[in-house]
Amino acid sequence: MSGLKIQRIDSASLSQIRYQNIGDVLSAYTPIAFKNYGPGQLSTASFRGTSANHTAVLWNGLNINAPTLGQTDFSTIPVAGFDQLSVQYGSAASIVGSDAVGGSILLASNAPANPLQVSAGRQRESFNNKHTRADIRYSVPLRGHWALSGKTALYDNRVNNDFPNPTRRTYALLPTETFQKGVVQDLFLRSPADQEISAHVWLTDNKLVLTPEDEQGREMTRTTAYRTMLRYQIRTLTLRTAWVRDIIDYAKGDLSRPDHSVTDKFASRIEKDFTVNLGRHLNPLSLKAGGEWTHYRSRVPGYAQMPVSENRTDFFLLSRWQPTSRITTSINLRQGLVTGFNPPFTPSVGLEYGLIQKTRYHLVLKGSYGRSYRVPTLNERYWKDLGNPNVRPETGWNKELGLEQAFSEALGGTLRTSATFYHNRIRDWTYWNPATSYRVENLQQVLARGIELQLHYLRRSGPWQTGLDAGYAFNRSSQEKAYDNYSQDIVGKQLVFVPEHTANANAFVQFKSTRFTGQLQAASKRYTTFDNSQFLDGYGLVNLLAETAFAVEKCRFVIQGQVRNVTDTFYLNVRNNAMPGRSFALSLTFSYDSQ
Amino acid sequence: MKMKKQLASSLAIALSTLVVWSCNQSDPAPKGDYISGVFVMNEGNFSQNNGAVSYFARENNTATADIFSAANGTTLKGGVQDYAASEEQGIILVDNMSAGQDKVQFVQRYTFKDEGTIGAPDIENPREVVIVGRKAYVSCWGTDVAKYSTGYVAVIDLTTKKVTKKINVADGPENLVYNNGKLYVGTTQWGAGNKLAIINTSSDEAGSPIATPGTANPVGIDANGKLWVNAGDKVLRINTETNATEASLAIATGGTKTPGNFTFSNDLKSIFFVLSWYDAAGKEHGGTYKFSISDIQIAMVTPLIARPFAGLAVDPSQGLLYAGVSPSYTQAGYAVRYRTDGSLVDSIKVGIAPTGFFFQ
Repeated sequence: MSGLKIQRIDSASLSQIRYQNIGDVLSAYTPIAFKNYGPGQLSTASFRGTSANHTAVLWNGLNINAPTLGQTDFSTIPVAGFDQLSVQYGSAASIVGSDAVGGSILLASNAPANPLQVSAGRQRESFNNKHTRADIRYSVPLRGHWALSGKTALYDNRVNNDFPNPTRRTYALLPTETFQKGVVQDLFLRSPADQEISAHVWLTDNKLVLTPEDEQGREMTRTTAYRTMLRYQIRTLTLRTAWVRDIIDYAKGDLSRPDHSVTDKFASRIEKDFTVNLGRHLNPLSLKAGGEWTHYRSRVPGYAQMPVSENRTDFFLLSRWQPTSRITTSINLRQGLVTGFNPPFTPSVGLEYGLIQKTRYHLVLKGSYGRSYRVPTLNERYWKDLGNPNVRPETGWNKELGLEQAFSEALGGTLRTSATFYHNRIRDWTYWNPATSYRVENLQQVLARGIELQLHYLRRSGPWQTGLDAGYAFNRSSQEKAYDNYSQDIVGKQLVFVPEHTANANAFVQFKSTRFTGQLQAASKRYTTFDNSQFLDGYGLVNLLAETAFAVEKCRFVIQGQVRNVTDTFYLNVRNNAMPGRSFALSLTFSYDSQ
Repeated sequence: MKMKKQLASSLAIALSTLVVWSCNQSDPAPKGDYISGVFVMNEGNFSQNNGAVSYFARENNTATADIFSAANGTTLKGGVQDYAASEEQGIILVDNMSAGQDKVQFVQRYTFKDEGTIGAPDIENPREVVIVGRKAYVSCWGTDVAKYSTGYVAVIDLTTKKVTKKINVADGPENLVYNNGKLYVGTTQWGAGNKLAIINTSSDEAGSPIATPGTANPVGIDANGKLWVNAGDKVLRINTETNATEASLAIATGGTKTPGNFTFSNDLKSIFFVLSWYDAAGKEHGGTYKFSISDIQIAMVTPLIARPFAGLAVDPSQGLLYAGVSPSYTQAGYAVRYRTDGSLVDSIKVGIAPTGFFFQ
């Protein structure tokens, strides 16, 4: 869609934190604020001042937010699980569907091109934490000009968090352990006649135990996901079918008999591209029409009934038209249908206008206006006593306007900057109302507005490379309506755990295969109560990374060292527990490339 | 009658002057920011470990929300379950959401400066504290917060700040009332207890308990030296010599309403309590009632105050009724002051989920 801001995280940045979780990448490169319960623990996103339910996470185009919770725990998604990461800012509900209110995280698998690549490595960190991953990529030509390629990846992460001191400044570093393991299998079968069949499997398991030494008080949350997908594309027609099973096991004390909840999601999608000729004097119009059908079946011990099932259908029509070389427009329409109620009709319009188009300088104005929605989660509808089967879907209108400029020669390199204003009003905001024993209600109306400034600079000269990615965001996100006497104390206040100011910067210098990187992440204070009477102090974190590589024939070794939280900054998480101080990581990665 | 009152008050003034004078003689006047006022215990939101002790002078209508943090630059890191003070020492019960992180926090009574802690495994899920001489008794649920089958009362030597003994009390010990060498221990309404434990505070041994029709919640000792205990939907008057139940008053709960927050008036002749229930939409309703210790039944037709509270206490020096209001666990609550006839005085914004008061 034109008019939307999309940030692609480059593969060099991803490979630098190849042993870490996606949350570490996103906090280093984007203004997304994370609500973090502690190292290795639950970490949810607040994108442009919205809640954890307002960020869609797509894996090869499929929304993988847990259908029960309607959100993703970013601590359970390792960088090892995908090849490509992009971030789409703002509402994109007409394209993505539910959940894409604050923004979307796009994870994708790439088809390998080289005959054989093998990579394996291990990272050791302070606190007895260990991360291991191995992957193999292959590509083989078949008869009849077809080609088979694929990737098999394994990862195993053990976060023991053996903190040498149980406290920092009298605040506890909570004893926890997280064991994470997974397998990724991608297969691509491609023909030269624009046909592709691909199969994708991602099995992942994340087991978190709080206070593991305390046999009566320990708490386990185990999140397991089986994600499978089959895609077939022939010229302009794409078919996709997927099955995802999300399992959550929770236990306290005796971990052998957890509460076991299982949710299956069957999703199929068909889409077809059309080109409409508008006559000899006009450029043709591109259209994409399609539909999606999803069936959910969930067995959750906390629900009023078991199992519950729900069907969701979506129809969409996306258009893109470039009347002149300066202008790109799009109009998108979507209608969702859900068992029991229907989300609103969801249109959006987007425009990009090339204000200045010179060889060495581009200035583009981008704007979009669109509706977003969020279908209630299964928990919100079906949880015993607290859930509300009649809760309405949330709906919002998002406006944004941005300027992007690109210099192809500035300060000896390339420079891109952007400034974006947004204004997103969400009605029928659903929440577990603490004033009515946490019953689910459509009570709030929230206005999130702000500005994002971003800069990307890259310079290459001979064996030297230098680069800087920096961003600053201001976000005011507040409740607009009062619903009882005491909510007067809440109206106009900043939403909890949404910092007003965030900043991030990544700077690197590289000489041949040796690279030094400095990272800064900063956030202003985060209110912890709805009336803003309590808050966690703002903080800034600095990480340093040094990496060097050497090659022997077709083999390559990468050694990397990290110093995290260099300044030993003290900061607190959601539970009012301390986050770790300065820590270290060292990794060795071996790779082999047959070419 | 009027004469008698006047005589009593002039006597009281004379007596208090004498006390102040004699204090001046023996001890220097206490120094600190929190010498004379009201301390509010805020439970906080359990999952955020953000409870606090708030403080205000009686003549003010704004409070310092978290005096421990103001005095020490660090928060208590848990919900505040109870507070008591002895001589120069204050003792705060702190309940953290994570196992093994609960504690007893000692503070200097008038400055609230940190004076050390006792944590797990001595203290697990502390509920209430009573100070007897140089000992503090802390009721603790222990680690079984799934069934509340066990529990204990920790005996703390206030001089060494050590737990000297754990006296086992089953079913999740909770409310404590001390009288004349005996500590009466009630149990949580979530447990299966239907007896009132009695601990002899000279031997620190548990004696035979008093059987009660429902979970026992001791209220206090009345003007006639009788012990009052709430048990289920009844209030019992118990003879402290014989442990016999002398009277049993029914509270009209309709089977759905829950009585709680019992507290005595200053003359120890009447009892205030809250009766509350939740409607289908999860909203709390209820009222605050008052009855006399000489009543033969509890009048439930009109409440004293037509709203429920999460905490209730009478200030011994001014006689005002203090009530805790929690709009929710995610915003600051209020301490609301009433005269004992139920008329409103004012309200003061405090911490999150105010449930108890300590007057100094």
